[in-house]
Amino acid sequence: MHEIHVGEDLRNKNREIAAENRDHLSEHRIVTLNLMSAPGAGKTSLLVKTIPLLEDKYRIGVIEGDLQTNRDAERIEALGIQVFQIQTGGVCHLDAAMVHSALHALDLSEIDILLIENVGNLVCPAEFELGEDARIMLLSVSEGDDKPKKYPLMFRESSVLLLNKIDLLEHVDFDIEKAKREALEINPSLEIREVSCRTGAGIDEWAGWIERFYTERKGS
Amino acid sequence: MENMLETVEHVAREEGGGPVTVIHLRIGEMSGVNIDALTFAFDVLKKGTVAEGGRLEFEQVPLEAKCRACGASFHPDEFVFLCTSCSSGDLEITSGREMQVDYILLDDDSKTDDSEVARTDEDGEVEADA
Repeated sequence: MHEIHVGEDLRNKNREIAAENRDHLSEHRIVTLNLMSAPGAGKTSLLVKTIPLLEDKYRIGVIEGDLQTNRDAERIEALGIQVFQIQTGGVCHLDAAMVHSALHALDLSEIDILLIENVGNLVCPAEFELGEDARIMLLSVSEGDDKPKKYPLMFRESSVLLLNKIDLLEHVDFDIEKAKREALEINPSLEIREVSCRTGAGIDEWAGWIERFYTERKGS
Repeated sequence: MENMLETVEHVAREEGGGPVTVIHLRIGEMSGVNIDALTFAFDVLKKGTVAEGGRLEFEQVPLEAKCRACGASFHPDEFVFLCTSCSSGDLEITSGREMQVDYILLDDDSKTDDSEVARTDEDGEVEADA
């Protein structure tokens, strides 16, 4: 019996591919956002509401991550923009290699902002960089205000937290101040916004955030 | 998981390929690893690999943060990432995010009994090729 030291981080390979994706996207002057949440928090609805507000100014592309179906991609396709569907075949997160393949299938010279919708899952997506410029997390108020402390990693790794379904607030036991406070304890630089994809509340402001972020990164 | 098995197979092959009996993992307190899910996946995927008869061992690495403002190091209790000395939120996580294969144990003995080991010494090249 003998012991062999390995000392290798299991995310190294993914990190290397993510760095390649980042270079590739940067060459095309594309700003990329990775959208993460639990299933049903409203990622696709957010895209459907947000994209029309950005379309006049930017060329938008979308990568849809889904376990099995095309349903989300079909909702985005209806907007008439470039969309590529990744079916992970049961894998609970997107990884950099999947996104690498998707980048080859998209016409990157026709995209200014790339929105990646990750697989619905509050844990694993936070461990896999894709080559994005920022991570955006959605938490819907119907999921409960205990989520930040139960799933701290995603809150720590995100730049923006969108509290979605804010129109349901009066119907659920969601202490919004507690959720915000605990999310900020985990990540003091987290930007928290309230939105409702159903009523449209906060969506204009969110689209405004994307515009500012794009300008910061790439100039106007 | 495939990634881990690839790494393990690669290392084991370089070291003579003996069956892997233990894969020792260091998993950070704040890593997105579900130990039950990982063990389940390992048990399914190890079949037909060098680690088929092996098992996973887990070592949890505590979370530690270092304050960039005052230099204090501390454990963020309840995932509160505010410096316990100066309250700054500008922290670096110095440990607790690990997801690492630390070492593996190879069972060199199970492939050959003593007489075969002796023969290997005489014509090592032939044995190595086989």
